[in-house]
Amino acid sequence: MRSTTKDPETDAEEAPARGRSRRAPRRGSWPFQVGLAAVLAATGAGLLVLADDGGEAASDNRALVDTEATTRVVGDVSNAVTRVFSYTSDGTAQAERAAAETLSGQAAADYRRLIGKVRAQAPQQRLTLTTRVVRAGVSSLTGDTARLLVFLDQTATRAGRPNGTPAAAQLTVTARLIDGRWRITELKSS
Amino acid sequence: MRRVAPVLVALALVFLGWSGWTFWQSGSDGDGDLARDRDTVLRVGRQQVAALNSMDWSRADDGLRQWLNASTGPLHDQLRREQAVSKQKILKERTSANATVVDAAVTALDARAGTAQLIASLQISLTPERGTPTVQRKRYEAGLTRTSGGWKLKSLTVIPVGAR
Repeated sequence: MRSTTKDPETDAEEAPARGRSRRAPRRGSWPFQVGLAAVLAATGAGLLVLADDGGEAASDNRALVDTEATTRVVGDVSNAVTRVFSYTSDGTAQAERAAAETLSGQAAADYRRLIGKVRAQAPQQRLTLTTRVVRAGVSSLTGDTARLLVFLDQTATRAGRPNGTPAAAQLTVTARLIDGRWRITELKSS
Repeated sequence: MRRVAPVLVALALVFLGWSGWTFWQSGSDGDGDLARDRDTVLRVGRQQVAALNSMDWSRADDGLRQWLNASTGPLHDQLRREQAVSKQKILKERTSANATVVDAAVTALDARAGTAQLIASLQISLTPERGTPTVQRKRYEAGLTRTSGGWKLKSLTVIPVGAR
């Protein structure tokens, strides 16, 4: 910091230009320093504004940017959907166990309502359902929340025979990272 | 004030240094570029997939031009090759299609190569000249390429039940 050094050239430069004032700020003087500090601070603020502008809101969304996290949420959610929506004529116990592990909130409540109807009929009518994930993509991934689009194929059988044709289903899935694992909190048909 | 002034200058310098570093970081931020590319691909891809599933039969030439504008490479070539046949078919069927993308997600993105892939689920309402409109659901996988005119579809495939 050269705050106390006096530059003789300053006087020579500034004196003619501001002949009127003898108190023209010189480099060592405090008014000059305050002015300098203000200019530096304003420049810094300007840079921050520019930096923020370049970043946009896009950078909050880590989908595909963080490839590892993206692959993981796709894997966790695909696994969960496959297990939760597949059952054999032995019953829905296995699917419901999977649901307890992987569903939460609204999705868990919706699932309980849905599976309640199937539970009694599955062994009786020998119902099975097989769900396969065909494609899945992450549309947003921010912190502990993710949104995915999942394409499914579902095949149902009754008493060992196909129950209708295999069906295509599209789900918009909301998932939350709870205790290090992705759990589905909302399922919506798309 | 005389004593405080140098401190102010020092603080301002520190602030400038920090904001300069932040600015430099934001400029060299490859993640930010990738995120912007992803958002562009999703936005443009949604519009183009919808455009390629929409047609106002009374303005077939406009619709076909939009199909060509939304596409590039093999898809563009195919659409151009079939343009005359497509127009005949549209004028014969006299059914308008209006597609809405219900949801879409980018599934792959190589910013350096300028290629991307997305999946989209669509709701398409078909309105015949006479008769009642119907609604169709379709799911697609689309490939995109970055061209001098922006990102465009180079492939568009329906994913049927039982697809691999």
